[in-house]
Amino acid sequence: MAMSIMHRITGVAQYVGTLLLVAWLLAAALGETQLAAVNGFFGSWLGQVILFGYTWSLFHHMLGGLRYFTWDFILAFEPRGRETIVRLQVLGSVTLTLLAWALFVWM
Amino acid sequence: MIDKKTIADPTTHYGSPRAATRHFMVQRLTGMANVLFLIFFVWFVVRLAGAERAEMVAVVGHPLVALVLAALVVSVVLHMRIGMREIIEDYIGEGRVNRFSLLCNDIFALGVALLALGSIAKIVFWG
Repeated sequence: MAMSIMHRITGVAQYVGTLLLVAWLLAAALGETQLAAVNGFFGSWLGQVILFGYTWSLFHHMLGGLRYFTWDFILAFEPRGRETIVRLQVLGSVTLTLLAWALFVWM
Repeated sequence: MIDKKTIADPTTHYGSPRAATRHFMVQRLTGMANVLFLIFFVWFVVRLAGAERAEMVAVVGHPLVALVLAALVVSVVLHMRIGMREIIEDYIGEGRVNRFSLLCNDIFALGVALLALGSIAKIVFWG
């Protein structure tokens, strides 16, 4: 149940988070100064924290979606399978997020 | 109390009586597409994070990138509109607040789509 709520919370986070992409594309369309301002915000500590959370949210929601597809086919639907698939999702989303940031940001 | 009988009975208007099945299918199809779009999006962000405007115009201006990005926007907006509809239908009881929330949801989704697609079009056609 908690994971179902998490799917909704991460979904709502990305709903609002589309504004990040809109701001970026709009700034790029408008001009140098606007793009520099948006890049400056993304580069700030607050921007980085938001983007890190957004990355995890995206991976978590994506894996959650795959979990629901699996369940749509009544696979891993028994109690043990459910527990396993949920643990895999949490492990997967954290791993993917750390991997993406380690490879593309921190290194 | 919402149970199976309520949902199966079309006169209760649980969910959209006209579009519930379509929403169910579109949500799954866009969900599958979004898995692929996320892979593209990771590449896109890594490629352009902190980039100068000239570089963004060069990459987004590429027809293939522009088309995939525009398709991503459409797929994501459809998916998030239906997702938020479902949340509103679940947590906000029938009535004016419910209808107003659904309207706000539609306006937000449309706004995001128009701004994103407009920006892509501006970059592609006018640089």
